[in-house]
Amino acid sequence: MKTTIAIIRDTFREAFARRIFWGFFACCTLLLLFLMFIMRIDVVQGAVATVTVFGRNGPSTDLQQMVPQAQSVIAMILYFAGTALACFASAGLVSAVFEQGRIELLLSKPVSRIHLLLGRYAGNVLVVAANIVYLVFGSWIIFGIKTGVWGAQFPLSSLCTIFIFSVFLAIIVLIGVLWDSAAIAIMASFAVMIVTPILAQKSSLERLLSSEWSRDVVRVLYYTLPKFSDVSIIVRHMILHQPVESWMPVWSTAIFGVVVLGLGLWRFDRRSF
Amino acid sequence: MPEYAIETEGLTKVFRGRFSGRELRAVDEISLRVPVGSTYGLLGPNGAGKTTFVKTVLSCTHATAGRAMAFGRDTRNPEARRPIGYLPENHRFPTYMTGWDMLDFYGALSGMDTAVRRKKIPEMLNLVGLDERAHHLRLGKYSKGMLQRVGLAQALIHSPKLLVLDEPSDGVDPVGRKQIRDVLHSLEQQGVTIFLNSHLLAEVELFCREVAIIQKGKLALSGTVQELTSGSGYRIEGLHVPERLETELRARARSFAANNGSLALLFATREEANQAVDLLRAGGCEIESLARSRSTLEEVFMKTVEGAPQAAAQAAQ
Repeated sequence: MKTTIAIIRDTFREAFARRIFWGFFACCTLLLLFLMFIMRIDVVQGAVATVTVFGRNGPSTDLQQMVPQAQSVIAMILYFAGTALACFASAGLVSAVFEQGRIELLLSKPVSRIHLLLGRYAGNVLVVAANIVYLVFGSWIIFGIKTGVWGAQFPLSSLCTIFIFSVFLAIIVLIGVLWDSAAIAIMASFAVMIVTPILAQKSSLERLLSSEWSRDVVRVLYYTLPKFSDVSIIVRHMILHQPVESWMPVWSTAIFGVVVLGLGLWRFDRRSF
Repeated sequence: MPEYAIETEGLTKVFRGRFSGRELRAVDEISLRVPVGSTYGLLGPNGAGKTTFVKTVLSCTHATAGRAMAFGRDTRNPEARRPIGYLPENHRFPTYMTGWDMLDFYGALSGMDTAVRRKKIPEMLNLVGLDERAHHLRLGKYSKGMLQRVGLAQALIHSPKLLVLDEPSDGVDPVGRKQIRDVLHSLEQQGVTIFLNSHLLAEVELFCREVAIIQKGKLALSGTVQELTSGSGYRIEGLHVPERLETELRARARSFAANNGSLALLFATREEANQAVDLLRAGGCEIESLARSRSTLEEVFMKTVEGAPQAAAQAAQ
């Protein structure tokens, strides 16, 4: 436990030093300030029950629908833009560990390789999670104070964003271990982010494709790769209190993440530095 | 209690080109034993495989064949690395850390408790000659010598029983070198085994009791410094040697040096030395000194390194 905490602390320290943490924090704070501004909220006004959300007055029944709508917009911005930004920033944090002259010293310590890499992975997830939680809970509190609507779905949606980031981080770890390159890791994760929403339109794609084998390829890719856009739909449904049709995108994405992270750990354990 | 701090059996590391498939035997069946409490030097020309050997011993690099043990335990087991302190060559310490942070981090990785770390960190930093100001200065602002010192402190923080140092005095000024040597001497007296990988022959000769020379991945020579450097010849220093006699003696000697009327000569055998003494006395010269000469480690090293290709060629024939 002592060593795990040390590795996580070191990841935070590096994220602070590289200004990754502060960059995220500043972005989140700006977003919260912007939210406060557009909702015209201040300490006094926020306590008052008069309600204007995005400049609109509305009866309380509308508010019960309007607030989750607004929250789902924030959650989607965070989900897509936040994950992309977090991947961009985290790739350097992962590949830095494999630098010659640094890795040898880490490996000479009485810590297993898997423990070292998992500690770094966990630290990285926590750095991003801290900022996601800050933004989601910050906006949740602003909405709550302003409107009196305090649903648990919106804060819970932050878990989905952290989850999807941790899956993409697994890709970054695997690429980092294979090629020591932050740039390739970013490209790979972005490629998955771009390709998977296209694959999510699998039924439309299948209609367009003429041969059976190409339809099989689409199906295999769809079920194998993380379901970036499908999970976002689940998040949106959760916030809007709509039923979730299938949890398959979540568990299949989780399996992908576990397998890719496992491969990264296996390769790291076998690799000579 | 194990007899050896480091023990390797047929340790081999072969690198294969990813695309070409070409093989490079960086470490070739090296079997080495470093006794507990010894000061051991590893020598070899650039690219001989010294650093790969060290990294394989520490399990940073996986051996292709053979095995390495520290105090009787296979170093692939993380626990076997607990009593080892390591200072790598060309280290890249995280520049965002201060000297204090760095020792705290690596101390924690070595399993030290927070309270113990807090007590030992200032002790270690002071031991290697880093002043109070440097304790809280970012490593990015450290000079090369300061980095080397903090690296040594990092290797010592958990009171290791075996210290593996790869070019420890690289970039350190002479005063710093002396300081590092003093630290190592005091550790030696405490029974810590010191394994030194250095290209500075004088440093190794000054500090190590035993050495091994690696050439092209193979163990070319090993033994105590005393054994390796003893019995190389006889040194005679004569005064006022006439020119004719000087020419004759120079022709007989293995090497010579003339300076301000004195002539220093080195002879390979006792017989040759006795003949030279007879000639000097017959020529009316004074003998300033006569002593059994020892080879320097440099001579042994050069002979080994230059001899290895010849031996290989002979073996091939």
